[in-house]
Amino acid sequence: MSAVERAHVIVDPRDNVTTVLDQDTGPHRLHGGMELAPGVPFGHKVALRAIARGEPVIKYGVAIGHATCDIAAGEHVHVHNCA
Amino acid sequence: MADLPSHFSGFRRSDGRVGVRNYLVVLSTVALVNRWAELIAAAVPDARIVAGEFMRGLRDPDAARQERACEALATHPNVGACLVLCHDAASARHWREYLASCGRPHAVLALMEQDGMEAAVRAGQHRLARLDEARRAVARQSCPLGTLMLGLECGGSDPTSALVANPAIGLVVDAVIDAGGSAIVSETVEFVGAEDPVRARCGSPPLAERLLAAIAAAEQRMEEDGERYRGVNPTAENIEAGLTTLVEKSMGAVAKTGSHPFIGLLEFGEKPMTPGLYLMDTPFFSPCSITGMVAAGAQLTLFGLGVFNPSGNPLAPTVKVCGNPITAARWRDAIDVDLSEVLTERLGLDQAAQRLRDFLLDTAAGRESSAERWREGQFIVPKTLTPL
Repeated sequence: MSAVERAHVIVDPRDNVTTVLDQDTGPHRLHGGMELAPGVPFGHKVALRAIARGEPVIKYGVAIGHATCDIAAGEHVHVHNCA
Repeated sequence: MADLPSHFSGFRRSDGRVGVRNYLVVLSTVALVNRWAELIAAAVPDARIVAGEFMRGLRDPDAARQERACEALATHPNVGACLVLCHDAASARHWREYLASCGRPHAVLALMEQDGMEAAVRAGQHRLARLDEARRAVARQSCPLGTLMLGLECGGSDPTSALVANPAIGLVVDAVIDAGGSAIVSETVEFVGAEDPVRARCGSPPLAERLLAAIAAAEQRMEEDGERYRGVNPTAENIEAGLTTLVEKSMGAVAKTGSHPFIGLLEFGEKPMTPGLYLMDTPFFSPCSITGMVAAGAQLTLFGLGVFNPSGNPLAPTVKVCGNPITAARWRDAIDVDLSEVLTERLGLDQAAQRLRDFLLDTAAGRESSAERWREGQFIVPKTLTPL
Protein backbone atom coordinates (compact mmCIF):
# COMPACT_ATOMS: atom_id res chain seq x y z
CA MET A 1 0.00 0.00 0.00
CA SER A 2 1.46 3.36 -0.97
CA ALA A 3 1.87 5.84 1.85
CA VAL A 4 -0.75 8.61 1.83
CA GLU A 5 0.38 11.61 3.78
CA ARG A 6 -1.15 12.30 7.19
CA ALA A 7 -2.21 15.79 8.26
CA HIS A 8 -0.31 17.12 11.26
CA VAL A 9 0.53 20.39 12.96
CA ILE A 10 3.82 21.66 14.32
CA VAL A 11 2.54 24.26 16.79
CA ASP A 12 5.81 26.16 17.22
CA PRO A 13 8.92 26.14 15.01
CA ARG A 14 11.03 25.16 18.05
CA ASP A 15 9.06 21.94 18.61
CA ASN A 16 10.66 18.50 18.30
CA VAL A 17 7.28 16.78 18.10
CA THR A 18 4.29 17.25 15.83
CA THR A 19 0.65 16.29 16.40
CA VAL A 20 -1.27 14.21 13.85
CA LEU A 21 -4.66 15.59 12.86
CA ASP A 22 -6.39 12.68 11.15
CA GLN A 23 -7.41 9.15 12.01
CA ASP A 24 -4.87 6.45 11.23
CA THR A 25 -6.11 4.74 8.11
CA GLY A 26 -2.91 2.92 7.21
CA PRO A 27 -0.61 5.37 5.43
CA HIS A 28 2.43 6.16 7.49
CA ARG A 29 4.03 9.32 6.21
CA LEU A 30 3.66 12.87 7.49
CA HIS A 31 2.40 15.51 5.09
CA GLY A 32 5.51 17.11 3.66
CA GLY A 33 7.98 14.54 4.75
CA MET A 34 9.07 11.83 7.06
CA GLU A 35 7.89 8.29 7.70
CA LEU A 36 6.15 7.66 10.96
CA ALA A 37 5.15 4.71 13.09
CA PRO A 38 1.79 3.14 12.22
CA GLY A 39 -1.21 3.39 14.55
CA VAL A 40 -0.68 6.92 15.94
CA PRO A 41 -4.21 8.25 16.67
CA PHE A 42 -5.63 11.74 16.09
CA GLY A 43 -4.24 14.25 18.57
CA HIS A 44 -1.17 12.18 19.45
CA LYS A 45 2.44 13.25 19.00
CA VAL A 46 5.24 12.00 16.78
CA ALA A 47 8.95 12.81 17.16
CA LEU A 48 10.23 15.08 14.38
CA ARG A 49 13.81 14.02 15.09
CA ALA A 50 15.62 11.64 17.41
CA ILE A 51 15.19 12.67 21.06
CA ALA A 52 17.73 11.17 23.45
CA ARG A 53 16.74 9.93 26.91
CA GLY A 54 16.60 12.92 29.30
CA GLU A 55 16.17 15.48 26.53
CA PRO A 56 13.16 17.79 26.68
CA VAL A 57 10.12 17.01 24.56
CA ILE A 58 9.17 20.39 23.09
CA LYS A 59 5.64 21.37 22.02
CA TYR A 60 4.21 24.92 21.99
CA GLY A 61 7.88 25.94 22.08
CA VAL A 62 8.19 24.75 25.70
CA ALA A 63 9.34 21.58 27.45
CA ILE A 64 6.15 19.61 28.10
CA GLY A 65 8.20 16.73 29.55
CA HIS A 66 11.39 14.73 29.07
CA ALA A 67 12.17 11.59 27.12
CA THR A 68 12.28 8.61 29.51
CA CYS A 69 14.15 6.54 26.88
CA ASP A 70 15.71 7.20 23.49
CA ILE A 71 13.00 8.16 20.99
CA ALA A 72 13.59 7.66 17.25
CA ALA A 73 12.43 10.16 14.62
CA GLY A 74 8.90 9.25 13.52
CA GLU A 75 8.12 7.39 16.75
CA HIS A 76 4.90 7.90 18.72
CA VAL A 77 5.64 10.12 21.76
CA HIS A 78 3.37 9.60 24.75
CA VAL A 79 3.31 8.37 28.36
CA HIS A 80 5.39 5.28 27.47
CA ASN A 81 8.44 7.36 26.57
CA CYS A 82 7.82 10.86 27.94
CA ALA A 83 7.07 12.21 31.43
CA MET B 1 3.39 35.35 9.49
CA ALA B 2 3.51 38.18 6.97
CA ASP B 3 3.58 41.67 8.49
CA LEU B 4 0.29 43.17 9.56
CA PRO B 5 -0.86 46.35 7.85
CA SER B 6 0.26 49.10 10.20
CA HIS B 7 -3.07 50.96 10.44
CA PHE B 8 -6.79 50.40 10.66
CA SER B 9 -9.73 52.73 10.63
CA GLY B 10 -10.99 53.53 14.15
CA PHE B 11 -12.39 56.23 16.42
CA ARG B 12 -9.81 58.35 18.23
CA ARG B 13 -10.85 59.35 21.76
CA SER B 14 -9.64 62.35 23.73
CA ASP B 15 -7.96 60.09 26.32
CA GLY B 16 -5.64 58.76 23.60
CA ARG B 17 -7.39 55.44 23.26
CA VAL B 18 -9.02 54.21 20.06
CA GLY B 19 -12.44 52.67 19.59
CA VAL B 20 -13.31 50.04 16.99
CA ARG B 21 -16.99 50.91 17.46
CA ASN B 22 -18.90 54.10 18.20
CA TYR B 23 -21.72 52.58 20.22
CA LEU B 24 -24.61 54.50 21.68
CA VAL B 25 -24.80 53.10 25.21
CA VAL B 26 -27.44 53.08 27.91
CA LEU B 27 -25.68 52.15 31.15
CA SER B 28 -27.64 51.00 34.17
CA THR B 29 -25.53 51.67 37.26
CA VAL B 30 -27.72 49.58 39.55
CA ALA B 31 -30.05 46.66 38.79
CA LEU B 32 -33.01 48.71 40.07
CA VAL B 33 -32.98 50.69 36.83
CA ASN B 34 -32.23 47.83 34.40
CA ARG B 35 -35.83 47.81 33.17
CA TRP B 36 -35.80 51.57 32.72
CA ALA B 37 -32.66 51.12 30.59
CA GLU B 38 -34.41 48.53 28.41
CA LEU B 39 -37.46 50.72 27.87
CA ILE B 40 -35.30 53.70 26.90
CA ALA B 41 -32.91 51.75 24.67
CA ALA B 42 -35.85 50.29 22.72
CA ALA B 43 -36.20 53.68 21.00
CA VAL B 44 -32.88 53.38 19.14
CA PRO B 45 -32.42 50.02 17.39
CA ASP B 46 -28.63 49.89 17.62
CA ALA B 47 -28.31 51.23 21.18
CA ARG B 48 -26.31 48.92 23.45
CA ILE B 49 -27.42 48.25 27.01
CA VAL B 50 -24.71 47.92 29.61
CA ALA B 51 -26.35 46.36 32.64
CA GLY B 52 -25.65 43.62 35.11
CA GLU B 53 -26.68 42.52 38.54
CA PHE B 54 -25.04 45.67 39.85
CA MET B 55 -26.14 45.94 43.45
CA ARG B 56 -26.05 47.91 46.66
CA GLY B 57 -24.89 46.47 49.95
CA LEU B 58 -21.60 45.16 48.63
CA ARG B 59 -18.62 45.28 50.95
CA ASP B 60 -15.11 46.11 49.88
CA PRO B 61 -13.30 44.96 47.88
CA ASP B 62 -16.48 44.01 45.98
CA ALA B 63 -18.12 47.46 46.14
CA ALA B 64 -15.02 49.19 44.82
CA ARG B 65 -14.58 46.58 42.09
CA GLN B 66 -18.16 47.00 40.88
CA GLU B 67 -17.88 50.79 40.91
CA ARG B 68 -14.57 50.78 39.02
CA ALA B 69 -15.96 48.35 36.44
CA CYS B 70 -19.09 50.48 35.86
CA GLU B 71 -17.03 53.64 35.44
CA ALA B 72 -14.58 51.94 33.10
CA LEU B 73 -17.41 50.57 30.94
CA ALA B 74 -19.05 54.01 30.66
CA THR B 75 -15.81 55.44 29.28
CA HIS B 76 -14.74 52.41 27.22
CA PRO B 77 -13.13 53.44 23.91
CA ASN B 78 -15.92 51.73 21.92
CA VAL B 79 -18.49 54.04 23.53
CA GLY B 80 -19.47 56.91 21.23
CA ALA B 81 -22.03 58.42 23.60
CA CYS B 82 -23.43 57.26 26.90
CA LEU B 83 -26.67 57.72 28.82
CA VAL B 84 -26.01 56.76 32.45
CA LEU B 85 -29.00 55.79 34.57
CA CYS B 86 -28.96 55.96 38.35
CA HIS B 87 -31.59 55.36 40.98
CA ASP B 88 -30.95 58.27 43.33
CA ALA B 89 -29.82 61.86 42.97
CA ALA B 90 -26.60 61.49 44.97
CA SER B 91 -25.39 58.74 42.69
CA ALA B 92 -26.28 60.87 39.64
CA ARG B 93 -24.22 63.77 41.04
CA HIS B 94 -21.25 61.46 41.45
CA TRP B 95 -21.60 60.24 37.87
CA ARG B 96 -21.92 63.77 36.46
CA GLU B 97 -18.64 64.68 38.15
CA TYR B 98 -16.96 61.51 36.96
CA LEU B 99 -18.05 62.00 33.34
CA ALA B 100 -17.39 65.76 33.17
CA SER B 101 -13.98 65.25 31.60
CA CYS B 102 -14.68 62.09 29.58
CA GLY B 103 -14.66 64.01 26.29
CA ARG B 104 -17.65 62.20 24.82
CA PRO B 105 -21.34 63.11 24.64
CA HIS B 106 -23.07 61.88 27.79
CA ALA B 107 -26.04 62.46 30.05
CA VAL B 108 -26.93 61.24 33.54
CA LEU B 109 -30.48 60.71 34.82
CA ALA B 110 -31.76 59.58 38.22
CA LEU B 111 -35.02 57.69 38.35
CA MET B 112 -35.98 59.35 41.63
CA GLU B 113 -35.83 62.75 39.94
CA GLN B 114 -38.49 61.72 37.42
CA ASP B 115 -42.28 62.01 37.68
CA GLY B 116 -43.69 58.59 37.03
CA MET B 117 -42.52 55.79 34.81
CA GLU B 118 -43.99 57.02 31.55
CA ALA B 119 -42.37 60.44 31.90
CA ALA B 120 -39.10 58.78 32.99
CA VAL B 121 -39.00 56.68 29.82
CA ARG B 122 -39.85 59.70 27.66
CA ALA B 123 -37.13 61.79 29.32
CA GLY B 124 -34.60 59.02 28.76
CA GLN B 125 -35.57 58.52 25.14
CA HIS B 126 -35.34 62.26 24.51
CA ARG B 127 -31.78 62.36 25.90
CA LEU B 128 -30.85 59.23 24.00
CA ALA B 129 -32.03 60.69 20.68
CA ARG B 130 -29.81 63.75 21.26
CA LEU B 131 -26.84 61.59 22.19
CA ASP B 132 -27.41 59.49 19.08
CA GLU B 133 -27.06 62.61 16.95
CA ALA B 134 -24.06 63.89 18.89
CA ARG B 135 -22.07 60.67 18.52
CA ARG B 136 -22.36 60.89 14.74
CA ALA B 137 -20.05 63.91 14.73
CA VAL B 138 -17.03 61.59 15.01
CA ALA B 139 -15.76 59.68 12.01
CA ARG B 140 -13.36 56.80 11.62
CA GLN B 141 -9.78 57.75 10.88
CA SER B 142 -6.56 55.91 10.37
CA CYS B 143 -5.16 54.56 13.67
CA PRO B 144 -1.96 52.62 14.29
CA LEU B 145 -2.40 48.91 14.86
CA GLY B 146 -0.55 49.35 18.15
CA THR B 147 -3.62 51.04 19.63
CA LEU B 148 -5.40 47.68 19.76
CA MET B 149 -5.85 45.87 23.04
CA LEU B 150 -7.11 42.30 22.63
CA GLY B 151 -8.94 40.21 25.19
CA LEU B 152 -8.04 36.51 24.86
CA GLU B 153 -10.49 33.82 25.72
CA CYS B 154 -11.26 30.19 25.06
CA GLY B 155 -14.31 28.13 25.87
CA GLY B 156 -15.90 24.87 24.83
CA SER B 157 -12.33 23.63 24.50
CA ASP B 158 -11.50 20.36 22.73
CA PRO B 159 -8.28 18.99 21.17
CA THR B 160 -8.73 21.26 18.12
CA SER B 161 -8.72 24.35 20.41
CA ALA B 162 -5.26 23.43 21.66
CA LEU B 163 -3.92 22.57 18.19
CA VAL B 164 -5.60 25.06 15.87
CA ALA B 165 -7.71 27.91 17.29
CA ASN B 166 -5.53 28.85 20.26
CA PRO B 167 -2.13 28.64 18.48
CA ALA B 168 -3.56 30.68 15.56
CA ILE B 169 -4.77 33.30 18.06
CA GLY B 170 -1.28 33.25 19.62
CA LEU B 171 0.34 34.10 16.27
CA VAL B 172 -2.02 37.06 15.78
CA VAL B 173 -1.35 38.24 19.35
CA ASP B 174 2.39 38.17 18.63
CA ALA B 175 1.84 40.35 15.55
CA VAL B 176 -0.34 42.87 17.43
CA ILE B 177 2.19 43.16 20.27
CA ASP B 178 5.03 43.48 17.74
CA ALA B 179 3.13 46.50 16.42
CA GLY B 180 3.05 48.07 19.89
CA GLY B 181 -0.37 46.79 20.96
CA SER B 182 -1.57 44.89 24.01
CA ALA B 183 -3.31 41.65 24.92
CA ILE B 184 -4.86 40.42 28.13
CA VAL B 185 -5.44 36.80 29.04
CA SER B 186 -7.46 35.88 32.13
CA GLU B 187 -8.97 32.84 33.91
CA THR B 188 -6.02 32.28 36.25
CA VAL B 189 -6.99 28.69 37.03
CA GLU B 190 -6.26 27.70 33.41
CA PHE B 191 -2.59 28.39 34.08
CA VAL B 192 -2.25 25.70 36.75
CA GLY B 193 0.36 23.32 35.35
CA ALA B 194 1.98 25.89 33.07
CA GLU B 195 4.01 27.53 35.86
CA ASP B 196 7.42 26.77 34.34
CA PRO B 197 6.63 28.15 30.86
CA VAL B 198 4.96 31.20 32.47
CA ARG B 199 8.00 31.84 34.68
CA ALA B 200 10.23 31.63 31.62
CA ARG B 201 8.09 34.26 29.90
CA CYS B 202 8.05 36.82 32.72
CA GLY B 203 10.03 39.99 32.15
CA SER B 204 11.42 40.01 35.71
CA PRO B 205 11.72 37.62 38.69
CA PRO B 206 9.40 39.75 40.91
CA LEU B 207 6.71 39.65 38.22
CA ALA B 208 7.18 35.87 37.89
CA GLU B 209 6.62 35.55 41.65
CA ARG B 210 3.40 37.60 41.46
CA LEU B 211 2.01 35.60 38.54
CA LEU B 212 2.91 32.27 40.13
CA ALA B 213 1.39 33.40 43.45
CA ALA B 214 -1.88 34.24 41.67
CA ILE B 215 -1.87 30.84 39.95
CA ALA B 216 -1.09 29.08 43.25
CA ALA B 217 -3.93 30.97 44.98
CA ALA B 218 -6.36 29.88 42.26
CA GLU B 219 -5.24 26.27 42.69
CA GLN B 220 -5.60 26.62 46.46
CA ARG B 221 -9.22 27.82 46.10
CA MET B 222 -9.94 24.87 43.81
CA GLU B 223 -8.54 22.48 46.44
CA GLU B 224 -10.63 24.12 49.17
CA ASP B 225 -13.65 23.01 47.15
CA GLY B 226 -12.34 19.44 47.21
CA GLU B 227 -10.95 19.37 43.70
CA ARG B 228 -7.44 17.96 43.43
CA TYR B 229 -6.19 19.14 40.05
CA ARG B 230 -2.51 18.32 40.05
CA GLY B 231 -1.95 14.58 40.32
CA VAL B 232 -5.21 13.60 38.64
CA ASN B 233 -4.36 15.58 35.53
CA PRO B 234 -3.95 14.80 32.73
CA THR B 235 -6.95 12.52 33.22
CA ALA B 236 -7.28 9.05 31.68
CA GLU B 237 -9.49 10.65 29.04
CA ASN B 238 -6.86 13.32 28.31
CA ILE B 239 -4.19 10.63 27.95
CA GLU B 240 -6.36 8.68 25.55
CA ALA B 241 -6.76 11.89 23.54
CA GLY B 242 -2.97 12.20 23.29
CA LEU B 243 -2.08 14.56 26.14
CA THR B 244 1.03 13.28 27.90
CA THR B 245 1.67 15.76 30.73
CA LEU B 246 -0.12 18.49 32.70
CA VAL B 247 2.19 21.10 31.14
CA GLU B 248 1.05 20.00 27.69
CA LYS B 249 -2.62 20.17 28.72
CA SER B 250 -2.28 23.65 30.22
CA MET B 251 -0.30 24.93 27.24
CA GLY B 252 -3.32 24.20 25.05
CA ALA B 253 -4.98 27.20 26.68
CA VAL B 254 -1.82 29.26 27.22
CA ALA B 255 -0.99 28.92 23.49
CA LYS B 256 -3.44 31.74 22.74
CA THR B 257 -1.05 34.19 24.46
CA GLY B 258 1.61 33.78 21.75
CA SER B 259 5.26 34.03 22.67
CA HIS B 260 5.88 37.54 24.01
CA PRO B 261 6.88 38.00 27.64
CA PHE B 262 4.22 38.78 30.24
CA ILE B 263 4.79 42.33 31.48
CA GLY B 264 2.21 42.54 34.26
CA LEU B 265 -0.51 41.05 36.44
CA LEU B 266 -3.82 42.93 36.52
CA GLU B 267 -6.69 42.92 39.00
CA PHE B 268 -10.19 42.38 37.59
CA GLY B 269 -10.95 45.31 35.27
CA GLU B 270 -7.62 47.07 35.91
CA LYS B 271 -6.29 49.17 33.02
CA PRO B 272 -2.75 48.34 31.86
CA MET B 273 -0.32 51.24 31.96
CA THR B 274 2.06 50.23 29.17
CA PRO B 275 1.58 48.12 26.03
CA GLY B 276 2.31 44.39 26.09
CA LEU B 277 0.96 41.08 27.34
CA TYR B 278 -0.87 40.80 30.69
CA LEU B 279 -2.47 38.16 32.85
CA MET B 280 -5.65 39.40 34.54
CA ASP B 281 -6.57 37.51 37.70
CA THR B 282 -10.22 36.53 37.10
CA PRO B 283 -12.61 33.62 37.65
CA PHE B 284 -12.90 31.16 34.75
CA PHE B 285 -16.52 31.81 33.67
CA SER B 286 -16.03 33.49 30.28
CA PRO B 287 -18.74 36.22 30.49
CA CYS B 288 -17.11 37.28 33.76
CA SER B 289 -13.51 37.20 32.57
CA ILE B 290 -14.47 39.01 29.33
CA THR B 291 -16.20 41.71 31.41
CA GLY B 292 -12.89 42.22 33.25
CA MET B 293 -10.82 42.48 30.08
CA VAL B 294 -13.31 44.83 28.41
CA ALA B 295 -13.40 47.03 31.54
CA ALA B 296 -9.61 47.21 31.24
CA GLY B 297 -10.06 48.65 27.75
CA ALA B 298 -9.91 45.67 25.38
CA GLN B 299 -11.70 46.77 22.21
CA LEU B 300 -11.97 43.23 20.77
CA THR B 301 -11.89 39.70 22.12
CA LEU B 302 -10.44 36.72 20.27
CA PHE B 303 -12.34 33.65 21.40
CA GLY B 304 -11.06 30.16 20.56
CA LEU B 305 -13.62 27.38 20.74
CA GLY B 306 -13.93 23.67 20.06
CA VAL B 307 -17.60 23.00 20.75
CA PHE B 308 -19.82 26.06 20.48
CA ASN B 309 -19.91 28.70 23.21
CA PRO B 310 -22.08 31.83 22.76
CA SER B 311 -20.04 34.18 25.01
CA GLY B 312 -19.68 37.74 23.86
CA ASN B 313 -19.79 41.26 25.20
CA PRO B 314 -22.09 44.13 24.23
CA LEU B 315 -19.21 46.65 24.25
CA ALA B 316 -16.44 44.76 22.46
CA PRO B 317 -16.84 42.59 19.37
CA THR B 318 -15.97 38.96 20.08
CA VAL B 319 -14.34 37.10 17.21
CA LYS B 320 -15.21 33.40 17.40
CA VAL B 321 -12.43 31.16 16.08
CA CYS B 322 -12.96 27.45 15.55
CA GLY B 323 -10.76 24.59 14.31
CA ASN B 324 -13.32 21.80 14.70
CA PRO B 325 -14.92 21.00 11.31
CA ILE B 326 -18.10 19.57 12.86
CA THR B 327 -18.71 22.58 15.12
CA ALA B 328 -17.82 25.00 12.33
CA ALA B 329 -20.38 23.38 10.02
CA ARG B 330 -23.16 23.29 12.62
CA TRP B 331 -22.62 26.85 13.90
CA ARG B 332 -21.83 28.58 10.62
CA ASP B 333 -24.09 31.51 11.58
CA ALA B 334 -22.37 32.12 14.90
CA ILE B 335 -18.68 31.41 14.24
CA ASP B 336 -16.57 34.10 12.57
CA VAL B 337 -13.38 32.37 11.53
CA ASP B 338 -13.46 28.72 10.48
CA LEU B 339 -9.93 27.30 10.65
CA SER B 340 -10.96 23.65 10.36
CA GLU B 341 -9.11 23.40 7.04
CA VAL B 342 -5.97 22.94 9.14
CA LEU B 343 -7.42 19.48 9.86
CA THR B 344 -9.29 18.75 6.66
CA GLU B 345 -7.28 20.50 3.94
CA ARG B 346 -3.81 20.75 5.47
CA LEU B 347 -3.97 24.51 5.74
CA GLY B 348 -0.81 25.65 7.54
CA LEU B 349 -1.08 27.26 10.96
CA ASP B 350 0.56 30.41 9.56
CA GLN B 351 -2.04 30.65 6.80
CA ALA B 352 -4.77 30.03 9.37
CA ALA B 353 -3.39 32.87 11.49
CA GLN B 354 -3.36 35.17 8.45
CA ARG B 355 -7.01 34.41 7.83
CA LEU B 356 -7.76 35.30 11.46
CA ARG B 357 -5.63 38.43 11.30
CA ASP B 358 -7.48 39.65 8.19
CA PHE B 359 -10.82 39.06 9.88
CA LEU B 360 -9.63 40.85 13.02
CA LEU B 361 -8.63 43.94 11.04
CA ASP B 362 -11.93 43.93 9.12
CA THR B 363 -13.79 43.66 12.42
CA ALA B 364 -11.76 46.50 13.93
CA ALA B 365 -12.69 48.64 10.93
CA GLY B 366 -16.41 47.97 11.38
CA ARG B 367 -17.34 44.53 10.05
CA GLU B 368 -20.00 43.07 12.33
CA SER B 369 -18.99 39.95 14.27
CA SER B 370 -21.43 37.07 14.80
CA ALA B 371 -21.80 37.79 18.51
CA GLU B 372 -22.68 41.41 17.67
CA ARG B 373 -25.24 40.29 15.12
CA TRP B 374 -26.87 38.03 17.71
CA ARG B 375 -26.47 40.66 20.43
CA GLU B 376 -24.73 38.16 22.67
CA GLY B 377 -23.07 39.11 25.89
CA GLN B 378 -23.37 39.84 29.57
CA PHE B 379 -21.61 41.91 32.21
CA ILE B 380 -20.63 39.95 35.29
CA VAL B 381 -18.44 41.42 38.03
CA PRO B 382 -17.15 38.83 40.53
CA LYS B 383 -18.01 39.05 44.24
CA THR B 384 -15.90 37.62 47.02
CA LEU B 385 -18.06 38.41 50.07
CA THR B 386 -21.71 37.95 50.98
CA PRO B 387 -23.42 41.34 50.52
CA LEU B 388 -24.99 43.12 53.51
